[in-house]
Formats: sequence, structure tokens, C-alpha cells
Amino acid sequence: MRGITPRREQGMADPVLADMVHAMGLNEAPHYAAIKPTIQAYRRRWVELAPYRDGQVNVTREPVDPAAITRVIKQKARDLGADMVGICRLQPHMIDLGAEVPHEFVIVACVAEDYDKVMRGADGVEEEAMRVYAKCTEIATDLAAHIRSLGYPARAHHNGGSEVQAIPIFYQVGFGELGRHGSLINEKYGASFRPGFVTTDLPLIEDQPREFGVQDFCLNCNVCQLNCPGDAIPQDHVITRGMKRWLIDLEKCYPYSRLRDEYCHLCVDVCPYNVKSHPETYRVFMKQRKEIGYKTPKTN
Amino acid sequence: MEKLYVNEVAPDGEVNTVGLFYSRAEAEGVVAQLRAIPERGGCRYEIVAAVRSLLTSIKDRK
Repeated sequence: MRGITPRREQGMADPVLADMVHAMGLNEAPHYAAIKPTIQAYRRRWVELAPYRDGQVNVTREPVDPAAITRVIKQKARDLGADMVGICRLQPHMIDLGAEVPHEFVIVACVAEDYDKVMRGADGVEEEAMRVYAKCTEIATDLAAHIRSLGYPARAHHNGGSEVQAIPIFYQVGFGELGRHGSLINEKYGASFRPGFVTTDLPLIEDQPREFGVQDFCLNCNVCQLNCPGDAIPQDHVITRGMKRWLIDLEKCYPYSRLRDEYCHLCVDVCPYNVKSHPETYRVFMKQRKEIGYKTPKTN
Repeated sequence: MEKLYVNEVAPDGEVNTVGLFYSRAEAEGVVAQLRAIPERGGCRYEIVAAVRSLLTSIKDRK
């Protein structure tokens, strides 16, 4: 199956970022140049595991009952450390434009971030994000290897290499809805989670989309917009396959998220959907935001 | 910096925004790749300047 959704290149491979960095007389974005050793160690993990994304499939295929093997695979992912596991049939809009993924299903395993890390500032948030990305890489790699041992093709998709798109898969498996800040919002974890994926031909039972009012809420809530230091989050949205999308303006985002040393994850950190899992941390964090001049949900 | 939307117009007239792009070359490259996919043969593509209101920020409105 060939993909139809463009993927923005990351890092200096993104021509927008490259132009902005070169305009500063630099060859590397300041944020990437300033990455700390602990974070570098997490990033190395997905580079190390990239060669194991795919591999030899056991020639002896075990016959499986789709309902039973779905339960086994989901439990396996949880045993490996996933907090949420979902499955759906792979569709062209879930694959990168031009990429071929020869599989029928996609499994997504997500690990929740510890939202309390917002109290440690940008470094704490970034370290937690990279820790979780590394964990998701390990889960996806192990899960794909396990499925191949059952005699079915399987490929892991993670920060070390991926041909799939997170948001449409998250939506289709019922993890939640796309928020104004451009991340998917889950009822339990807000947008504080990260994914790993496995595409496979193992016959599985699909999950279904589940909506709980996020997109309507985001129409009237502009906390992420008000707290964005770069003013990069737009007021209005476009529509793609019936989903509202607020397209972030990278020219405004990058000066804060790439062109300075510090990580920026504020649009997600201030999202009111964090309050359910971490009410006290969210209250204290937003009080801090208010004290330095940003609006909080209560004052809007 | 130039900001452009690529819209996909389906045979039934439904319009879906493919994405926001930052140069005409970038947008045209995406359209060329989409046009090369046989399954998208019935769709047409338009590159339009990003609507001002969609990029209007809070600071712009003050």
C-alpha cells in the first residue's frame, strides 16, 4: 500500500529550519547543538535499534484466531511497558507520501509521560519525552520480532525509522481526537504520551475511533494559543478527512523550539486535558504560567 | 516566508487540505507525488496562498 500523507522532514533536513539556521550564520540548530548527554543516550537507543525494525520471518506460520491473538498481542505490549495499545487496518492516509508499506494492520503502543516533570522545566520535559520515545522504540522492536517469530511479517516504526503517520492512526484506534496544538488528546493522558508502531499481516481485530468532544472544546479553548511564546498556533482550522486541523506556523514555532537551547513543549504542557491525570501539578504549573504573564484556563 | 496550502479536491467536490508548505517548490513537489499515485487519479490539486485568517495570530489581532 502506498502512502499519501506528506511528512515534514525533521531536524536540519527540513528546508524551513535549515534556511533559518543558515540565516543565523550557523550550521546546526542551537537546540540540537545543546542536547545534554542523558538525552543523547536516549536518542542513541533508537539509532541502535533501527537495524532491527524488520527481519526474517519464521518459516513455520502458527495458525491464529484473530480475537485470541489480538488479546495476546495487546497484553504483550502492556507487559513490555505500554500504557495504551490500539489496532486498526492500515490505510493510505496513515502512510508517508510515496512510501510503500506492504502490511494490512498497524498496532500502536503508547507510553505515558510523567506530567510531573513539567515542574523541572524544559530540560525535565525534554528528558522525559526522549526517555519515553526510547521506551516506545524498544516496545515496537520487541513486538515486531515476536510477531515475526509467529510466522507473520512485521515492521517496527519509531524515531529510528518510520513510514507511518501517528495522528490518523491514533484517531482510528480510538485514542482520542486532534487538539488545537497539533497533538492528539487522550481522555486519560491528555497529549502527554509518545508512540511506537508495528505494521503487520498478522490477522487482528480492529479498534474503533472514539470521540469525546476534544475538537469542539478546542474551538473555544485557546490556552495553548495564548501560552505559545512564538504565537505559532492559529485561530482557525482547515479540514482534512472531516478532522479539524490547526496547522502550526513553523516560521513562528522554530525560533522557540529549535533556534534556542531550550526544548519547548509548552503547547502540550498547558493543555487543560492534563488536569484529569495530574490535577495538582497542572494547577501549580498554570499558576506559574499566570505569574509570568500568560493566561490560564480560569482567566479566559 | 511564503505560506501555501495544498488542497485536494475529490471528484465529488469535497476539499481536503493536504498541508501547509513554505515554498512553491515544496508545494509543487507534493502535488507531483500525489498526481503520480494512480488511486488519486480522480482528484485535482490546488495550491493556494494560506488564507490570512488561518494564520492570523493573537498578536496580529491586537
